[in-house]
Amino acid sequence: MDLLFELLCQFIDVSASCSLAKDFLKFKKMNSLTTTAEGTFLRNKIRGYARDQRVECRMKAKDSLRIGLGQVKQEVAALEMGTKDVIGMASRIKRRKHATSEDLCRLSLGFLQGNDNINAFAAIPGAIQVLVKELTGPHIQRQTDAVECLCNLSLGEAHVSDKIVTLAGSYMVTYLDGKAERLKRSCLWTLANILGTCEKAGRVLLQMQLLPKLWRLYSDPNGCQEDTAICLSLVATHCLQHVSDEDRRYIAQNMPEKIPDQPGNEYFMYIVHQLEIVKQEHKLGAQQAEYLVRFFEATLAPPADRLSLIYGVRVMANLVALGDPSLIGALADPQNLVKTLNQLFVLRDPDLSLDSMRLLKNYLQLNVADSNLLLDSLHIYA
Amino acid sequence: MDSEAAGVGYLSREKILKILSEVPAGFIRPTDPPAPSLPPFKKLGVLVEVDDIVGDQDEGVRIRDKDQSYSCAECRKVLPTAHLLDLHITEQHDCYFAASVERGDKPMFSCFLEECTIKFHTPRQRKDHCIITHKLPANYRFDQGKNRGKQKHQPRSKPNSMEVDEVPVETRSLPYVKAFSFGHQTHRTFYTRKDQRSGETLDDVQAMKEAINDILD
Repeated sequence: MDLLFELLCQFIDVSASCSLAKDFLKFKKMNSLTTTAEGTFLRNKIRGYARDQRVECRMKAKDSLRIGLGQVKQEVAALEMGTKDVIGMASRIKRRKHATSEDLCRLSLGFLQGNDNINAFAAIPGAIQVLVKELTGPHIQRQTDAVECLCNLSLGEAHVSDKIVTLAGSYMVTYLDGKAERLKRSCLWTLANILGTCEKAGRVLLQMQLLPKLWRLYSDPNGCQEDTAICLSLVATHCLQHVSDEDRRYIAQNMPEKIPDQPGNEYFMYIVHQLEIVKQEHKLGAQQAEYLVRFFEATLAPPADRLSLIYGVRVMANLVALGDPSLIGALADPQNLVKTLNQLFVLRDPDLSLDSMRLLKNYLQLNVADSNLLLDSLHIYA
Repeated sequence: MDSEAAGVGYLSREKILKILSEVPAGFIRPTDPPAPSLPPFKKLGVLVEVDDIVGDQDEGVRIRDKDQSYSCAECRKVLPTAHLLDLHITEQHDCYFAASVERGDKPMFSCFLEECTIKFHTPRQRKDHCIITHKLPANYRFDQGKNRGKQKHQPRSKPNSMEVDEVPVETRSLPYVKAFSFGHQTHRTFYTRKDQRSGETLDDVQAMKEAINDILD
């Protein structure tokens, strides 16, 4: 009975709203007798609430533990799974044409332990197809387990990433438009691993319209913006030559949807610059250009991120190079420009100063202000 | 002004102009040096706990499945995105859409990818487009138009042939219906005897399914 009382106390700490448990405490304090049947009933109720809460927490969990290849061996020695175990598991799921959540979980752990396990699984014809079947099934939880399994499989080499994209890429891209947040996040992790590994797989993903979907996800306030930003930056770094003009135009047109002060903003200027969004061909409108200027001004506020500043200045230099003073908004005012440039020069960063000079030169070529007056107001350290 | 600037250690106007003359004008390309790169990306997996895998088939989980996906109110089919559900409703349950497809004057079938705005006359054309252009797998599991594609391959009558009253398909191959009896009470049940005429059994099942769905609705 005392044990039950302690359990109840703990439970009340977690869920103060449980009136049933409170009543029971009162009941205990009154020191009255409780029949065994009532106790069992209450115990079952409490267990039920605790289980529901656990499941709820798991569904909402945003802090899944990320881990590198081979790291799991150091973390949990007891979980060791050899190549034979992985092959056995693959044969079993192939035979049954179905994988349970437990199978998927064990495979996930197996993949984490080393490249040999990943290569052994990838070499078995029809094994990845079972994962794809679970990925496209009706249960969200099973889909999430399958994506997490694929995420760990994507830790392998380029040929494995290639296989994953061919068989499951389209579904992962499709799920980015879905409602289940955990599933979306797991898809983003898998896609990031693939984009960071194999350029060919990245090209196929871009053909599946990955970029507009990522941009939409990046623009919406949700819990996946940081992961989406990483995926976009990986596209901008590794698959730049495969990005189509339509994709670039889509980003240019949907620029104002990105709200400042959101997670993943440090990647924004890098993505815009690397993807060459500010270009004559993309016909940037006044609204989009104004948004870029405002975003750049926001990055100047301390504590300024060096990378954001450098790429921000580059984007501004390109915006001024378009040759239309109506596009540069607040920067068209010489006083504002001087203030901004002085803020940049005071940081005494050689790369930043060089790009700032280029911004200044492009501005002077617009002939919208008296150049002598402007140059005299600049504070560039010798 | 120049002397003041020199006193604090700022560059004079002439020096700035000299530096500017050496700086190239115009666009800065992504490949232009010096381009500082992002910190290297480290691939990471997910550590899943086996103990967490519980209660897959719980009622609560099933309800959550419904909450987190899109389901058709008509046939209760569950689809992962709003666009795919939209395509499903239009192509499977919209009579106006069916009539437009039958007329065939304009492409009606939208691409499976929301961002692609191309439309097609037949599901087959759409499937080919998705495989070739978007690299979707040939057995894309959210494809709704497989059966419709097959139906389209039926031979058409010659355009200049004489007009005749066509007998509707339903009347030509009516399924066997036991409508009345002569005094002997028999169990009213589904007709399960294997029919000699192929194809009709499937029609019966389909008709029954529709009837059951109507009753349930």
